[in-house]
Amino acid sequence: MSGTSDYWRKMIRADEPASIDFLKEFRSPLEIFRPLFFAILNLLCRSYFRIKVIGFENIPKAPPYIIAPNHSSALDQTMVSCAIGRERREQLYTLAVKHFYDRPFARVFMKIAANVMRIDSQEDFFPALQAAVKVLKLGKSIYINPEGTRSESGGLLPFRVGVGLLAAETGVPIVPVYINGTFRSMPPGSVFPKPSRVTVSFGEPIYMDEYIKRKQAEMAYDVYKAITDELFKRVSSLKVGQEDL
Amino acid sequence: MAELEQEIKTLVSRIIKIDESRIDPDANIFIEYGVDSLLGVEILAGLDKKYGVDIPEQKIREIKSLNDIIRIAKELIAKKA
Repeated sequence: MSGTSDYWRKMIRADEPASIDFLKEFRSPLEIFRPLFFAILNLLCRSYFRIKVIGFENIPKAPPYIIAPNHSSALDQTMVSCAIGRERREQLYTLAVKHFYDRPFARVFMKIAANVMRIDSQEDFFPALQAAVKVLKLGKSIYINPEGTRSESGGLLPFRVGVGLLAAETGVPIVPVYINGTFRSMPPGSVFPKPSRVTVSFGEPIYMDEYIKRKQAEMAYDVYKAITDELFKRVSSLKVGQEDL
Repeated sequence: MAELEQEIKTLVSRIIKIDESRIDPDANIFIEYGVDSLLGVEILAGLDKKYGVDIPEQKIREIKSLNDIIRIAKELIAKKA
């Protein structure tokens, strides 16, 4: 039954072993430019974006965990990368769909800036979640937008239940994140960021122990939905009072 | 059967948040409508909740369009009856 945890575990291949070779294919020689890139970016973050980081202590000290921010601007991931620092950044992987990754400029930029996994999401339902599971099983962290797409209005979109599934079936905590100011600086459709204050707020992680227990008594999907609802609540609460920063 | 097709179309349309009238049932849902893993979970769970059908992995691989979802769901519902 698809209401059971076993069904979803099979779909996302949660019980298959993951080899460290899997990660190697997502590393790039262009990473050699990463320290220089972030040295420049850190200067820009402090001066041009006047970045403010709130709740840094909420990020678990060691991976794996899921970084789950809102998404309203092409700047979002770069700002989070800047906020979390080098050590955590190197352990963080992100997913990029094939049609975006295959744009030449975007590909070079992404390879320098992040550990990016190219996902062919046009062939199957589950490649992104399967890849994310492998990364988490290998002890690395994942950056995932729970809205699934970029908000055109700057407001929060509904969160997709797949995020709850990923966390519940890997047992990995989710770190709620709210990014404020990137939409004002570079909303969808604009090509160059305007100077603007950016705030990246990290909330307390949502741990899975309670939800894993609940799976034994409830339909698995309902538990995934409960996790996703809790994440939405926490990201929304990080947003409160930030509109005018 | 036409009613069932319409119900499934409405269900998918509600999940992917695209008006039914704008969905081409033969179009690739991944390319045209941005269906991804996260939305895929909701479509499969929606079909399970409404019809109690469990789409097996090999059938999921056949899904490219709304018509594929309708065809597979219909097969499984008929088998269940």
